[in-house]
Amino acid sequence: MSAAPAIAAPAPVKPEGHTLPVVVICVLIVLAWYVAAIPMNWVVTGPKAEAAGGGLANLLLFSWNEARPVIPAPHQIAVELWKSVFMVKPWMPKSLLFHGWVTLSSTLLGFVLGSLLGVVLAIAIVHLRFLAKSLMPWIIASQTIPILAIAPMLIVVLGSLGFTGLLPKSLISMYLCFFPVTIGMVKGLTSPETMQLDLMRTYNASRSQVLWKLRFPASVPFLFTSLKVAVAIALTGAIVGELPTGAVAGIGARLLQGSYYGQTVQIWAALFMGSFIAAGLVWLVGVAERLILKRMGARP
Amino acid sequence: MAGPVISARELSLVFQTSDQPVQALARVNLEVGEGDFVSFIGPSGCGKTTLLRVIADLEQATSGTITVNGMTPQEARLKRAYGYVFQAPALFPWRTVERNVGLPLEVMGLDDAAARVARNIELVNLKGFEQKFPWQLSGGMQQRVSIARALAFDPRLLLMDEPFGALDEIVRDKLNQQLLDLWRRTGKTIVFVTHSIPEAVFLSSKIVVMSPRPGRIIDVITTNFPVDRTLDIRETPEFLAVAHRVREGLKAGHSYED
Repeated sequence: MSAAPAIAAPAPVKPEGHTLPVVVICVLIVLAWYVAAIPMNWVVTGPKAEAAGGGLANLLLFSWNEARPVIPAPHQIAVELWKSVFMVKPWMPKSLLFHGWVTLSSTLLGFVLGSLLGVVLAIAIVHLRFLAKSLMPWIIASQTIPILAIAPMLIVVLGSLGFTGLLPKSLISMYLCFFPVTIGMVKGLTSPETMQLDLMRTYNASRSQVLWKLRFPASVPFLFTSLKVAVAIALTGAIVGELPTGAVAGIGARLLQGSYYGQTVQIWAALFMGSFIAAGLVWLVGVAERLILKRMGARP
Repeated sequence: MAGPVISARELSLVFQTSDQPVQALARVNLEVGEGDFVSFIGPSGCGKTTLLRVIADLEQATSGTITVNGMTPQEARLKRAYGYVFQAPALFPWRTVERNVGLPLEVMGLDDAAARVARNIELVNLKGFEQKFPWQLSGGMQQRVSIARALAFDPRLLLMDEPFGALDEIVRDKLNQQLLDLWRRTGKTIVFVTHSIPEAVFLSSKIVVMSPRPGRIIDVITTNFPVDRTLDIRETPEFLAVAHRVREGLKAGHSYED
């Protein structure tokens, strides 16, 4: 073997910041948005700009400040968000916080119910072999049916049984979000190695001991991955659940009202509110994941 | 206890695979006495691990009889007659060293757990590492944790399946010495699977030489090295003579051919 070349000490690796790339992308999107707003709003704003004397300044002024545009400019959405979040009292129906809370509450209830159902189904599937064959096709089929087709029927049926308001919407969230949890947990609960299962067998461990001491702890990373997907689609479910009910409150109701009255700015503001809630929920699940996995001895 | 700890008579095991049946064990006869250190040595596919797993009731023989403490392997397993050490540590990554060692005690609902855990961690020289997680330990330390875990409920019989196979030779030498000390101090019966001739000769009071296709026993060698031997005996003519006999046995069983 030849003499090894002198090895320089590796430079200390700095953790890369996320801030700059995120900011750059956001700025680019906003810029593209402003540019796109000009041709997209042309039908409405072109004649007005012409009437005001034409010119670039007039075109921009009208394209970016139209009250009922095809696509509102970013600052219009920001102003609408500001007004409907901070300028009205949060319990008033004009407040986006009020609508956000209505949707959030049914999202959370649906998420909890759906996650529980998902975990219970996964445990059953892992322990009863015939269920894997008999139940799994139904679980997969359940997700191939468009939720927009199911939601109105469910709402009507539950309504005739006397269930209105929060619960029917939550059930639609649950219907959507149990699925990733079941799939992830089946994978997680079957993730222990043969050796670890053999080890429990040498102890003559009961099935419930194998479940709680081996399978369940081994599945926790899988659970959190599923929960992040589940919480986001639970919100989608809650919004979809608000559409066919003719609900007067909630992000979905706000979207619906906006489209009735051609209030595109209001629609976009509600959309943004919805995505802020989704991002917050996913972030919270991520925080819980880090805390719990750290307690379970995960490598930092 | 009177009688052998393990007794196998005409034991055979055939695995049904998709293309053809595989004779993993063919008419194996074996006795392991109380306090013996017995090694199974042979090349891959000779059935040494399978034989250990039959003793542990992790596999079932297709013919012949086998008893563990005078019972069937299943009865012995249900009575938690043995501790088993696998090829890999198979620690639970979410448990600290202390809680990994305590796992069998939790499962079995034994009392006095804290004292047992402390005693066995000390026995494998891991005092001070109780609160560490497995990934914070070296491979050798992880395997010592798994030995402490196997000993935690104080079984009289210890079954070890190539426990040091994945470790480098320096670590392996050290652990061999420690295992021998542990055997001498505790007087447990140990059945040890290996494919290392020096390891088998150094550790064992009885060496079972096995050969593949079909898996069978071709020689049983009883050694008489002093119980307080050290690694130095590996240079002695007596040691080399036994190692030579093991090698000859493996050769006679066509273990070196393809």
